[in-house]
Amino acid sequence: MLGKTVKGVLWWACLSALVFCDSPGAGVASAGEAIFSPPSEQSIPGGSLGDLVRKGEEIFTNTKKYAGHYVGNDLTCESCHLNRGRKAYAAPLWGAYGIYPRYRLKNHKVNSLAERMQGCFRFSMNGTAPAVDSPTVKALVAYSYWMSRGAPVGVKLPGAGMLHLTPPSRSPDPFSGKKVYEARCALCHGLHGQGRMSRGETAFPPVWGGKSFNKGAGFYNVGKLAGFIKMNMPLSKGDSLSDQDAWDVAAYVDSQPRPEKPAVK
Amino acid sequence: MINIHQVIKRVPEFFQGNARTIFPISFNAKVHPDIFSTQERSMRKKLVWFSVFLFFLGDFSPAVSAHAEDLFSRGRQIAKAGNGMPGNTACMECHRLKGGGMPSIGAPRISGQTIQYIEREITEVQKGARYGPVMAGVVQNLSPRDILAVATYYSKVRSPKLRDTETLSPKRVRLGKQIAHQGLWKKNIPACVVCHGPNGYGVPPLFPYIAGQNRTYLMRQLIAYAFLERKDDPQGLMRGIARRLSPQERKSVAEYFSSLDPPYTGSR
Repeated sequence: MLGKTVKGVLWWACLSALVFCDSPGAGVASAGEAIFSPPSEQSIPGGSLGDLVRKGEEIFTNTKKYAGHYVGNDLTCESCHLNRGRKAYAAPLWGAYGIYPRYRLKNHKVNSLAERMQGCFRFSMNGTAPAVDSPTVKALVAYSYWMSRGAPVGVKLPGAGMLHLTPPSRSPDPFSGKKVYEARCALCHGLHGQGRMSRGETAFPPVWGGKSFNKGAGFYNVGKLAGFIKMNMPLSKGDSLSDQDAWDVAAYVDSQPRPEKPAVK
Repeated sequence: MINIHQVIKRVPEFFQGNARTIFPISFNAKVHPDIFSTQERSMRKKLVWFSVFLFFLGDFSPAVSAHAEDLFSRGRQIAKAGNGMPGNTACMECHRLKGGGMPSIGAPRISGQTIQYIEREITEVQKGARYGPVMAGVVQNLSPRDILAVATYYSKVRSPKLRDTETLSPKRVRLGKQIAHQGLWKKNIPACVVCHGPNGYGVPPLFPYIAGQNRTYLMRQLIAYAFLERKDDPQGLMRGIARRLSPQERKSVAEYFSSLDPPYTGSR
C-alpha cells in the first residue's frame, strides 16, 4: 500500500518535471550574463536606410535569389546565422559588427566587416566574393549596422560568435559521431548530408558534399562546428547533445567529402 | 536454354533482398522512417540497374507499375468500403474519397501527403504512440500491406481545399504568420516553415505539409503534442515546440496555416 503511494508520488513528480521544467535550451547562455537583444523588426527606419536594411535582410534569408551570382552552393546566410542573424551563439550579426575591423590570422591582415563578408561568400557559400562596394555587401553591412544599434563596440559580447567548447576528454571520434548523426541529424540533413528539398527549394541545408560549404569555411574547423552544434542543433533542442557528442558529430561531418578550399588570390 | 521466368525469379536474390527491395522504397513497409534516405538512395540505384536489366530482357516494366496500380486500387477500395475486418470503416467517411478531410469535425486533409508520412502515422496510431480515439479503432485491423495501399492511394489523389466552418480572426492570423515565418526565438521556437517547408508545403518524406490544413485539426495536434497525447514526433521536436507555445499562439499558428492554400490541389 505504502509502496503504491510512493510510486504514485514519484510518478507525479516525474510527470510534473517533464511538463514544467522543460528548459528552452538556452542553459549555457543564461549563466548570469545578459544576452544583447537586437532591435525588433518593427524598428527598421523608414526612408532609404530602411530600404537598404530590408534589402540586406532579404539577401540574408534568401541569398540564392537576391545574390545568386556570388553563391556556389545550396546554403543561405541564415543556414548558419540562425534567426536571420539574431540568434546568440550562432554568430549573430550584432556580435560581429562591433568588433570589426579586426585582425585575422586566416589572411594575416586587419579585416573590415565587408572583407569578412567576402570570406563568407568564398568559403561558406563556396562562391565568389562580391566587391567591397557592391550593392550586396552594402545591403548586408547596413543590415548588420542596424541590428547592432545599442550594442557596445570593441568588446566580444556574450553570445557572439560560436560557443567555445572545451576540448573533450576523449579525442573527437568520427565513428561515434556517425552514430549520433544518424540518430539525431539525419532526419533533416539526410543520411548522406545532402539536406532536403521541398518542391525544388532547399529546405534543410546540405552539410557535406558538393552543395555544402568548402574546406576554407569556419565550419571546417571541428571546434567551431562543435560549438555551433552544441548550442543550436537539433533546431529547437539546442544544448541537448553532450559536449562529447557535439565534438564527435562535428568530427564526422568534417570528415566527409566537400569542395576544396579555393586557391589564395 | 534459359528459362526467362527463372531468371526473373532470381533477380531478388541477386540484389540480396526480398522481392520488395527492387521496387521503389515507397512500397517497402518495413523500413524505419528515420533511416529512410539511405535506403531510398540505394533502392533507387538498384531500381535503375533493375530497369537496365529488364530493358535487355525485353520490356517487363508493366509488371512493376501493375504492382503500383494494384496498391492504388486496393487503397481506393479500403478508402471506399474498409477492408472488411472488424472496426475498419471506410476512410472516406471522415477523410472523403479524395482526401480533403472534414474541417467541421477536424478530420485532416490527407490528399497529397507523402506515402511514407501517411504510412508512418497510421502505424504510430496502431502502436499507440499517436493518440487518436477514432483512428485507433479504425486502423487496428489494417495489415501493413493495407496501410501501404491506403497511403499510396491518398498520396496520389487530389482534392480542392474544403471550406472551414470557423471564421478566422485577422489579428490571430497576423500573429500566426509572424510565428510561422520568423519563429519565436525567445522561447527557442524556430519558424514553422523551416521544417514544414517554404509556405508550409512540407518537406518530403517525413515533414507533412500543413498549409491549407483545417484549423480544428491543427489546433488539436498542437494541444496533443503539448500535453503528451501525441508522442510519435521524431526526437520530441514538436512536443517541445508545442509545449512552449501559449494557447493564444497555438491558435494563431493554426489559423494562419488553415488560411493558406494547400499544395497538391490538381486533379487525379
